[in-house]
Amino acid sequence: MTAPTSETSKEIGGPATRRTVLALGAAAASTVVTIRPALAQTAGSVLNCEIPIPSPQAGGNYIAADGSLVPAGTAGAYPPAPRPITGEEAKALLNGSATPSGLDAEASQAYANYIRRLQAGMSGFTCYASLQMPR
Amino acid sequence: MAGPRYIADPQALARNVALDGLTAIFHAPSGLTHLLAPPAPQILAALAGRPGSAEEVLARIAESFELEAANPADAIAARLAELEAVGLVAKT
Amino acid sequence: MRHRLDLRIGPVSYRIGSAWPEPLAELRRLYRNYPAAEAVCDFTVRLEPERPWRRYLRPSVAIRGDYTLPDAAPLPLTLGLLAAEMGMNLQMALGQKRYLLLHAGSVERDGRALILTGHSGAGKSTLAALLGERGWRFMGDEFALLDPATGLLHAFPRAISLKNAALALFDGADPARLGPVLRGTPKGTIRHLQPPAEAIARMDQPARPALILFPRFGRDLDPATRPVGAAEVFVRLTQASTNYVALGARGFDSLTSLVTTVPARAIDYRSSEEAVALVESAWAELR
Repeated sequence: MTAPTSETSKEIGGPATRRTVLALGAAAASTVVTIRPALAQTAGSVLNCEIPIPSPQAGGNYIAADGSLVPAGTAGAYPPAPRPITGEEAKALLNGSATPSGLDAEASQAYANYIRRLQAGMSGFTCYASLQMPR
Repeated sequence: MAGPRYIADPQALARNVALDGLTAIFHAPSGLTHLLAPPAPQILAALAGRPGSAEEVLARIAESFELEAANPADAIAARLAELEAVGLVAKT
Repeated sequence: MRHRLDLRIGPVSYRIGSAWPEPLAELRRLYRNYPAAEAVCDFTVRLEPERPWRRYLRPSVAIRGDYTLPDAAPLPLTLGLLAAEMGMNLQMALGQKRYLLLHAGSVERDGRALILTGHSGAGKSTLAALLGERGWRFMGDEFALLDPATGLLHAFPRAISLKNAALALFDGADPARLGPVLRGTPKGTIRHLQPPAEAIARMDQPARPALILFPRFGRDLDPATRPVGAAEVFVRLTQASTNYVALGARGFDSLTSLVTTVPARAIDYRSSEEAVALVESAWAELR
């Protein structure tokens, strides 16, 4: 892509060329964005959802402070939440530590970490995914 | 120093559309859509069906563009790593 | 299932089954002017008791059907109509493969479609409904259906879901078009409004998309109109679509074609009057 132009002549006596500048970006920059499915977001907006903590398949496991599942009665771990958390409560909890009504504040932090660790296939995942803001 | 060589499959990148400064690409093998900012599309073009190391990619792009970078080698390596991570280029 | 109702809205037909008669009675009234459904329905919705005894004891409606979300919470029977509408939305969101679905309102004039898209609560549903009362042909408030083969937008005019403050805007509407006031829903107070007769009569007429708007309502906003670049429109619409990824290459071709051929604007407004005025002037600018 070259075109002669007297404005950008860089070489005296030589052919004046103007080429498009291409910045390569800083090493830490990001130049690729992958479109992720928005299914959960939009479906979540059309439905009322809940997140059981932990999922019913987890048996009697307790929730450690970091949100992982541990055997019942493990020291420092919290018992399952007495009721599922609604999508709205989860959003508030994940944003600013607003404890859902009726739940213990410390336990709720562990529950928040459990929610953050939810993966596809676990009960409550679709609800959690629907809370994510689009990038 | 040559370093690893990469290649992009032109068939897999056939669906690409310019969207005000960015390039949307449908990667057929994965079914994923990616949005690319320069110089990523130019790097893909330089590797479409033609293997190349980071150095060779730099040279190919420099044929058409005035390159701007504090550290071109680092920048190209970073871009190639990004493209490899999403499967748009592969080591060959 | 004890009770059944078949409905057709645009190109999509539903079979809705219910363990209780009340939700279907309300639904039948809201859709009484719609054409008959096809013999074979595209989707099934089932309103079922969460547990067998919840059919009678504190009746609780679980939304089931061809497609279901396992962590959806049941609704009380008093909100059965809402459960049915949510169920219909869910079947579309999860099961629609023929059309690219956009989470958007749409209206038509002179064979051209205006697409109103944005986050829940931004105002797109209300604005679509308002324009439907101001001379535009209402095509839908929740989903817009883009045909990948033709690029045309197909109408899907379900009962319009008015929420909270928007209810007051339609106080003057013919009561025969209004459903019951539903309080205490997950999204606040909701009331359904039947689309205008013309919208129902013409629901099988598609339209060519001509303008995409991102409406934003806010009492503190200054009225404004800004262009939105194609890349931004593309990304926002992929986030507003439940089946973009599932449609693969067809979805890509369809959406890139839309954003490269149809202009887009963001509009901010403080009132219905300002909204309609901004829409009309953006539309007038089109060639």
